[in-house]
Amino acid sequence: MLCLEEYITLHATRQPNKLAIICGDDRCTYAQLERRVEERCDELRCDGFEAGRIKCLRATPSIDFLVTYFALHRLGGVAVPLERDLPEASFAAIDAELSRHSCPEATADVLYTTGSTGRSKGVMISHDTILADAENLIAGQGFTPDLTFVINGPLNHIGSLSKVYPNIMLGATIVIVDGIKDLNRFFGAFEMPAKKFATFLVPASIRILIQFCAERLAALAPRIDFIETGAAAISESDMQALCRLLPTSRLYNTYASTETGIIATHDWNSGECTSGCLGRPMPNSQLFITADGLIACKGRTLMTGYIGQPDRTATVLRDHTVYTSDIGVIDSQGRLHLKGREDDIINVGGFKVAPTEVEEAALSYPDIKDCICIPVPHRITGQALKLIVVLRDGCELNKRNIALHLKQTLEAFKIPALYESATSIRRTFNGKPDRKSYKEIL
Amino acid sequence: MKEKIKAMLEDALPLVDVDSPFLFSELDSLGVTTILMMLADEFHISLEATDATPRNFKNIDSLVALVESKLQGRS
Repeated sequence: MLCLEEYITLHATRQPNKLAIICGDDRCTYAQLERRVEERCDELRCDGFEAGRIKCLRATPSIDFLVTYFALHRLGGVAVPLERDLPEASFAAIDAELSRHSCPEATADVLYTTGSTGRSKGVMISHDTILADAENLIAGQGFTPDLTFVINGPLNHIGSLSKVYPNIMLGATIVIVDGIKDLNRFFGAFEMPAKKFATFLVPASIRILIQFCAERLAALAPRIDFIETGAAAISESDMQALCRLLPTSRLYNTYASTETGIIATHDWNSGECTSGCLGRPMPNSQLFITADGLIACKGRTLMTGYIGQPDRTATVLRDHTVYTSDIGVIDSQGRLHLKGREDDIINVGGFKVAPTEVEEAALSYPDIKDCICIPVPHRITGQALKLIVVLRDGCELNKRNIALHLKQTLEAFKIPALYESATSIRRTFNGKPDRKSYKEIL
Repeated sequence: MKEKIKAMLEDALPLVDVDSPFLFSELDSLGVTTILMMLADEFHISLEATDATPRNFKNIDSLVALVESKLQGRS
């Protein structure tokens, strides 16, 4: 098999009536999925789409999104799933930027991720990387054809999008729900007739479920085969609480990123419940720690590079190795332990935010003379964003107006929840915001 | 109580139009959780996932009704 979409055709032949994807009232078997993808291919061809072209699309939590995603691949095109609430101007800017570039042959996706400088990076993912990620997850976490996997996160992020891969490869069933905002609907997904379930939850969502739905979660214990988390640090107390609620389920903490792919995973319900332990590399991956203490990864799951940014690619991807900004150690049993990050990226419940991007957007608000965006502790998301602003003379702090201004250019998760007025912003000797001094106050 | 809840929401969720008649549609999962936690802490009531329905979170008045029903159930 050369690409994931060939498995749709295979399962449409071998198990045509098996449910492939369910989303609310919309559902399709593998035969119906195959037909819908072919129809979408025809529509795209009629619109003039051809192999090698790059197409942006909003990653709505729907079957329709996945049908278009698969159809773009089948036509030899490149899919660029973007945040569904991305402001129209930002969507158009990315679309225009991409029209000036081309991707190497066999590129499947361009996934946007936050850069430490505030400039987003389009990470090129090949079809082989998608297959390698799928194989890693099947071998590392025990995905099986009789599994029903509940996807509740944004499909433009590797955390949720990567769960499409093993399920389609194996001919399993995917259920898409729109986050865990409507908790009753989320739990309803686990009550449909199926043998066993699995899902991916960011640590913030696990926190919410433990705090507000512990009994309901425990009632599902016999049906939950496994839960995976990642994208942010999960506390040891939440890990232990989940072990108590789901004593027979496998509970995985995974090391993955858009640039590296799915690398390592650890079942913390198998006798060793240690925060930060991310297990051993999966079959298609290798990792090592650099002399600076940073995690570096090799193998088939790596990105091809950043689109249109060869210099930036070279700073991260050299000699078939991705050098990350994550600080880690490998223990005597070969298991990776994550210790933090080297750069200024702020992780808000699994969403990575470059503070400089927020500050740049805030400085375009007329009342703000200077500002700094810093992380503050948050009981659900681990960290939240706080914007400290120096206002121009005569101006008063109106956080709703600032938030609405930021929403014109930033995705919702990049907009600070907390605001504070100050007379000055502390800076380092060379004029940069002194983030360290603010962190020390925390 | 309505003014108090409104002020709390405005302070915690600056991006949300708390006067919206479709408050639930304005919120994400973190927003729903934030409201559950704030109401539970402020009014010393026990709230669960089953309380976070689109109907209970329709607008400020429905949140007031939710809190009042919990307070009555407690007494």
